[in-house]
Amino acid sequence: MLEAALEHLVRGIVDNPDDVQVDLVTGRRGRTLEVRVHPDDLGKVIGRGGRTARALRQVMTGVGGRGLRVDVVDTDA
Amino acid sequence: MSQHIAQTALDPAADDPSADDAGVAVAESDSAGTGVDGTADRSAEAAADSAVSAADAASANQTGEALLVREGDIAADYLERLLDILDYDGDIDLDVEGERAVVAVVGSNLRGLIGPGGATLDAVQELTRLAVALQTGVRSRLMLDVGGYRAQRRTELTDVGRRAAEAVRDSGSKQKLAPMNPFERKVVHDAVAAVDGVFSESEGEEPARCVVVLPQA
Repeated sequence: MLEAALEHLVRGIVDNPDDVQVDLVTGRRGRTLEVRVHPDDLGKVIGRGGRTARALRQVMTGVGGRGLRVDVVDTDA
Repeated sequence: MSQHIAQTALDPAADDPSADDAGVAVAESDSAGTGVDGTADRSAEAAADSAVSAADAASANQTGEALLVREGDIAADYLERLLDILDYDGDIDLDVEGERAVVAVVGSNLRGLIGPGGATLDAVQELTRLAVALQTGVRSRLMLDVGGYRAQRRTELTDVGRRAAEAVRDSGSKQKLAPMNPFERKVVHDAVAAVDGVFSESEGEEPARCVVVLPQA
């Protein structure tokens, strides 16, 4: 449900919605939602000064509880 | 109407499986001279051109109220799907106030989308504006409310602003209010402006920016 919610939020703000992939990874540091997007959309998901990424984190914390992390994965790296 | 035209103009290019191949073939044929592939590309290009001009016409038509109504519709789609996924019960009310689309999610168990001090609500509003702007091509200033949070906050802040204004008017000394976000400061400025003999300004940097109420010279 959390993956689907984040996937929906991201798909709506990028030029290549079909390239959006979200995975929920549970590790030692708790739950992390990993977001992958088309390289051209990285800037859109991060936003100026990280503003959009911060908004995505805020919403997911709000609906998923504290300790839920959101990582935007740079697929070029 | 204009949207329909844009759609039909786009379809031939989108449905033509050779369109992509033609683009590649022509890039190669620059050195090899023009052939059959060049013709295919010209028709694909023509289709793309007419789609672009139809889209231009569509955006030219979408000014003022029509654009704001469309903003509301796009926002409603984005938010409805989010509520669905989260299994939240909520209805969406759309309105246009002045120069803004106003979108309100109404329901009882929406606290998860409001957050401490409305922080989550601000974040959802930010994302919704981006989703709207992506489709309209125009930056959106739409206002989102969830569970009546902003409406209630507006009532409280109007009170805060009016009381501060009256206190400054009576004492003659300025008063600095607590840090607020842009929406909150706007409400306070409006409340102060309704009282004679005082005026207000904002000072400081976000997120510590606050309203200062001063006596009129």
